[in-house]
Amino acid sequence: MSSRLIKLKKRNGDSGDVRLHLTPMMDMFTIILVFLLKTYSTQGQLINPSADLTLPSSAVQQAPEMGLDVTVSRDWILVNDKPVVKTDEVIDQDGYMVSPLKSVLDTYAREAKKMEELYGADFSGKVTIQGDKALPYKLLIKVMATCGQSSYPNMRLVVYTEE
Amino acid sequence: MAQRPSRKLKHMQEFLQTDITPMMNLMVVLIPLLLTSAEFVRLGVIELNLPPESSGAYSDALDAIPQEAVKKLDLAVTITDRGFYISSTMAVLGGSTEGEPSIGLKNGEYDFLGLTDKLYDIKQKAQSKFPDTDKIIIMAEPDVDYQTLVSTMDAARSIKIDNEYKELFPDVALSAGVF
Repeated sequence: MSSRLIKLKKRNGDSGDVRLHLTPMMDMFTIILVFLLKTYSTQGQLINPSADLTLPSSAVQQAPEMGLDVTVSRDWILVNDKPVVKTDEVIDQDGYMVSPLKSVLDTYAREAKKMEELYGADFSGKVTIQGDKALPYKLLIKVMATCGQSSYPNMRLVVYTEE
Repeated sequence: MAQRPSRKLKHMQEFLQTDITPMMNLMVVLIPLLLTSAEFVRLGVIELNLPPESSGAYSDALDAIPQEAVKKLDLAVTITDRGFYISSTMAVLGGSTEGEPSIGLKNGEYDFLGLTDKLYDIKQKAQSKFPDTDKIIIMAEPDVDYQTLVSTMDAARSIKIDNEYKELFPDVALSAGVF
């Protein structure tokens, strides 16, 4: 045992009762708690950003809503996280209509309309588009034209909000 | 003569403090709970509403208005690799010299602040004369990236004057007319 430890023990009295100081820990916890309460959202995450892309940032303050999820990542175009068509193929193609995407969107639209008839779940035609910030405009416009043609005219572009 | 506190009592007082263990328990439960539901990146959405596939009612209503009455501004911003071109039904806003963009690049980057200021001028002048002074059409060259497009929409949406946001042209439509 080092001489310092022995000294410490002597100072604490003969009982050897070394207590853990909890007060600094409490201070820390209180700060963390306040911070977390401030960032707490009752809504939760409605949209999960995909891993393979970086969303652009914008000053817009509008909160996201639920909708069909179309993701345009660097490699694939996905609908509700299911890959549909390769991004490169869409960039190279002529014309605005991306036919594989359209057939998938049509399937979803048909199901949603059936749900509306059977159960009264409103079909709003909302689609949220997540795109990588380096996407060329020609790709984006093709995806959007396709969404517009397949009964999903209400598009929402997902962005990171600044501030 | 006052009694001198005993050695034992003095020793006890040294360690007398509030029992914070229940508080600790609470923290240990609350912090993981809040950590899991915390939102570290805030997401937002930009709304773009196109008319639905069969927009019969809308176009019928347009037809019913006499042609002279529908004198629209049709403001459009075109993003090119040389800068922004601002145009309306009547004219294209010229740059400093012939053929130059309305708002050129500034140090090799897009001048979004310049665009916002210009659009604010236009909004002030056009507000009383045209019915569609909250609509803007944004066009872009095929290779303009998504972030530039989003920033342009931001620049066209509102202007910050004296820490107050003033609405410019929040109703954005995208056009593919360039290619």
